[in-house]
Amino acid sequence: MNPLTLNHYLLASGLLFSIGFAGVLLRRNIITIFMCLELMLNAANLSLVAFSRFHIGADGLPNYNAQVLVFFIITVAAAEVAVGLAIIVALYRARQTTHVEDLVSLKF
Amino acid sequence: MFPPISLEILVLALGFILLLAESFSNSTNKRGLAHIAIFCLGWIFAISFFTAPTPATIGAGSYWNFYSGDGVSLVFKRIALLTTIGVLVLALDYEAALAKLLPSAHVGAGTGEFYILPLFTCAGLMLMASAVDLVMAFAALELVTISFYVLVAYARRSHASLEAGVKYLILGALSTGFIVYGITWIFGLTGETHFTKVAEKLAHLRGDDTAILFAFLLILVGLGFKVAAVPFQSWVPDVYEGAPTPVTAFLSVGSKAAGFLLFLRVLEPFLGVHSILPKVLQVLALVAGATLIFGNLAAMPQNSLKRLLAYSSIGHAGYLLTAIACIGAGGGLLLGVGATVGYYLFAYMLMTLLAFAVLTLVSVNSKGEEIQQFNGLSKRSPFLAFAMVVAMSSLAGVPLTAGFYGKFLVFAQIIQAHHWVLLSLGVITVGAGFYYYFRVVAAMYWHDPQETAPITVAPLSKITISLLIAAIFYFGINPNPVLSALRTSAPSVAAAAH
Repeated sequence: MNPLTLNHYLLASGLLFSIGFAGVLLRRNIITIFMCLELMLNAANLSLVAFSRFHIGADGLPNYNAQVLVFFIITVAAAEVAVGLAIIVALYRARQTTHVEDLVSLKF
Repeated sequence: MFPPISLEILVLALGFILLLAESFSNSTNKRGLAHIAIFCLGWIFAISFFTAPTPATIGAGSYWNFYSGDGVSLVFKRIALLTTIGVLVLALDYEAALAKLLPSAHVGAGTGEFYILPLFTCAGLMLMASAVDLVMAFAALELVTISFYVLVAYARRSHASLEAGVKYLILGALSTGFIVYGITWIFGLTGETHFTKVAEKLAHLRGDDTAILFAFLLILVGLGFKVAAVPFQSWVPDVYEGAPTPVTAFLSVGSKAAGFLLFLRVLEPFLGVHSILPKVLQVLALVAGATLIFGNLAAMPQNSLKRLLAYSSIGHAGYLLTAIACIGAGGGLLLGVGATVGYYLFAYMLMTLLAFAVLTLVSVNSKGEEIQQFNGLSKRSPFLAFAMVVAMSSLAGVPLTAGFYGKFLVFAQIIQAHHWVLLSLGVITVGAGFYYYFRVVAAMYWHDPQETAPITVAPLSKITISLLIAAIFYFGINPNPVLSALRTSAPSVAAAAH
């Protein structure tokens, strides 16, 4: 008996994605926003792994293409964090703030 | 004959060698790096004419499932190479302004990577042009985006640049999230990541319309951010204004070309699904119309030329989206749309680089990027004023310029599709474009200069600007070289649509 179906995983990943997106829209701290963005990427990872597990091919193996894509996403997310945190630190040094309300020097 | 992949390998190797050279040399003068990069990119551009197009063959070997060296991708690779060369020339002009905005011990010491990072962006753009697999397209897109994050925030003493960097970072990452989630859903529906196979599977799916539409909308949102389509355009004016001027030029050309190329490739599989095609085209037409109106009308009251060009870039994205929205029912028409978009992007590259080249020189010499700084430019430097007139005329779409022929192709596409609403919007917005582009021309010729010091133009910039002017006229009168390169080699693009 396997009570967990693909739908459960997709629901969890959909929830993660929505939480991440809501956080990006509602939170005011750039670090928190950045964490929410990572949450969105991980939601995609979760559903990719789930799709891979449930797409059983003719040879009886899961479809590994998706799992390879997950590794690409993890790598890209790590690169994004490295660059992103560096930019946020540079911003903090220059402005002593990480709040989006303070980013108003570019307005016409 | 070389295989097309050798171009990307050469660009990446050049980037790594220059990075090493930069870190091991004691010299504080980094201009040599830019000169080497420009020289080598010129050679790579020449080599691109000696490559044998090799369309992707499915199932041949693991690597060639990801990469297609067809003729269309070669055209886009050349656009990427030329853009990078232009951006590096601009970066050399901008050095004086940039050096003041860097926290470094010696003047000019921290500028090395500013000349090298564009090479990696260029490699990403070239790889994306050849990507025929979602994994490859994603990895290439991120190579472009992440190197842009660094470039936008490069001027670390400028609050505007850092702020633009953070905004671009957040919205870029957000769009990545949407694209990745969309890719996930496409994979979930089809079990494939190769565009051709995805198209085959999607065309035979029954009863999953909502899920397919959901996947399409996720990708549309993600790519909408990249190409600056309304309602995902809010970051564009701020980021364009805050970024160092050469980077703005690169963003507006490179990032846009990459976004639209990926857009075309991802769109193709969805066009094969006849049950959702009307809805897909409706959404596209809506987005295109909104982008046209917003970009062109919001550009009118701008006083900063950089912001004006930002809004104008949104407007141009509107014309490109309009062409795509008029694809029509049959997948066969995609051939025409691919050529239209390709030519428009080529023309857009020429005129935008020209406008930004003049803007860089003027802003470095008069400490500002307002339209007022252009007052009386015809007296300070008749050459730059003439170059700006050509750029603005081409952006507005004056006949005999490359920009006119691009718009002509777009309008031909709209009329072919009998899309009268978009046609009237297009005509109105072109009129608005004439108003705001020619405000700049009026300032240059009819207003008195605030400063009278003549502007000196370095020989390399002079050659680049002259070549751009010549190319705008040449390809405006005789567009066939570009069009035939885009059309004759299109079969592999069209084949994927069926």
